[in-house]
Amino acid sequence: MTVVEQTGAPKTTTPGRPRRRPSPLGSKWTPYLFLAPAALFILVFQVVPLIQEVYLSFTRTRLLNPTRSEWVGLDNFNRIFGDPEFHRTLLITVVYVITCVVVAIGAGLAVALLLNKKFRGRGVARALVTVPWAAPGIAVALIATWMLNAQYGIVNRFLDAVGLGVPGGAILDSSRYALPAVLATTIWQLFPFTSVVLLSALQSVPQDLNEAATVDGAGRWATFRAVTWQVIKPTVGLLALLMTIWSLRRFELIWLMTKGGPVGATETLVIDLYSQAFDSKELGSAAAIGMVGVVISLIVIIGSRLVARAVEKGDVR
Amino acid sequence: MRRFRFGVTARIVAVLVVLGVAVFPLYWMFVTALSSNSDLFADQPRLTPDLGQFGVFVDALAEGKAAGWLLNSLIIAVGTMVLSVGLGIPLGYALSRFSFWGKAVLTVVLLFTQMLPEALMVVPLFALFRRFELLDSLTGLVLVNSAFVLPIVALILKGAIDGIPKELEEAARADGARPFTTLTRINVPLIAPSIAATAVIAFFHAWNEYVFAVTFIFNPDLQPASVGIANFIGELGTPIQTVMAVAFLFTLPAVAFYLLVQKYVVSGMTAGAVKG
Repeated sequence: MTVVEQTGAPKTTTPGRPRRRPSPLGSKWTPYLFLAPAALFILVFQVVPLIQEVYLSFTRTRLLNPTRSEWVGLDNFNRIFGDPEFHRTLLITVVYVITCVVVAIGAGLAVALLLNKKFRGRGVARALVTVPWAAPGIAVALIATWMLNAQYGIVNRFLDAVGLGVPGGAILDSSRYALPAVLATTIWQLFPFTSVVLLSALQSVPQDLNEAATVDGAGRWATFRAVTWQVIKPTVGLLALLMTIWSLRRFELIWLMTKGGPVGATETLVIDLYSQAFDSKELGSAAAIGMVGVVISLIVIIGSRLVARAVEKGDVR
Repeated sequence: MRRFRFGVTARIVAVLVVLGVAVFPLYWMFVTALSSNSDLFADQPRLTPDLGQFGVFVDALAEGKAAGWLLNSLIIAVGTMVLSVGLGIPLGYALSRFSFWGKAVLTVVLLFTQMLPEALMVVPLFALFRRFELLDSLTGLVLVNSAFVLPIVALILKGAIDGIPKELEEAARADGARPFTTLTRINVPLIAPSIAATAVIAFFHAWNEYVFAVTFIFNPDLQPASVGIANFIGELGTPIQTVMAVAFLFTLPAVAFYLLVQKYVVSGMTAGAVKG
């Protein structure tokens, strides 16, 4: 705020004065003038609330009486880490995230390779493939729930028809099939993004190198490893990072499909934190669970930067 | 020759399967909206839309609250788009063209906010909103949605401005233009495609947003469509055709606009992330 006022002052004096040529970069306050409104916004709505959450994670605070918090140090963390249900939440989070990353990138790469060859209608095909990514998560959760409906859902009718029907058909109510169903829906929404990004990375694969490798008698797989993979490796790394962070924070899709159930079978960290805050009304433990998620994200981000640096240096292939 | 033919056929089949998987759920949403009750609950469901039922879309908008929900969503989305792009352009410009004290910290903060789940931030923001009487107001949702989409908007626009030769601005500055004028007259027109892409991202971020809307809005007349549609899930009172019709009307603009600016959105999102 003060920055704006300070830079505002010299500005008002310019009219009337003979016009001076501004220095190439303007005054040293110029950048702050440009960024101050946005920075203030992010400060108020992101940074300050985050600091409050960090504080809350060390307190016992009830949703019904949120202004009274009692400092309890590491109690929340000790409690959640001693709770077997939280261990299950961590395990499900890891399974959910890793499956999303691996399958979304694998499927995306397969589709990208498929669409990388020229054929008639390729433009239309590329556009249609992106449809799932553009669809709102709420609508996706709704249609997925309807398609998986135990009685009338098209998925059950299809599975029954091919003899793979789930007994009773209630996929989302089954502790065995709910997580795969939520994962399939998530990946359905993610693979267009990975495939479009990988497709644009594939454009920079030098075709003559591919041809040279083929002429030299290299098989398809060898050519892919030697040429294509080397070019798209950084993009795959970036996508892995994005998919990890997005999957760690994904909420609506899981919440609306299963609310983390049945009996915690689809409860990831974010679902757990939300139900702690709004069902159990324990803001302190909710914040502590949130912090665990934030720390995991940070470790992933820092780890991925270290790996990227090692790859750049050529230590890792 | 035979092998070659086989490869082409296999490829065509594979492409069709992928497209089928990609499009089927939304197609099914459309078919369900346009099914008569007897088709819906028959042993053999009808797989094509019954266009005679088209009135369901008109009814969904005319009878229920759906039109009001969509209007609320539109207001929130337009507000978020204007505010976040309006703040994101100067922020992106500052990050691209100036070196200043605190730049590294600001960049890290922008990237860091990308990993914060809305569900984590909802509790302290609720307290903040109560203090400033922003609960139960569309303005409040515009403010919080803008803050959440602003980092990615700014990072994409920074990347776009990075791609413009500095010489253009230097020439304008030599002619006496102030930094603000060079931004609006030189940079903004040149990055128009990226601005359009960020506008779409910001619009649909707010259009799709659920957690803040469901927590901060109590008055049913102020509910956006995301909350209204989410409330249909697990509820049995509304005919499934109406539910799907509303959901389809909610989905269609998002899909249509993303397809229009897809190229810029994807390159922008990856560029924004690569810089991290």
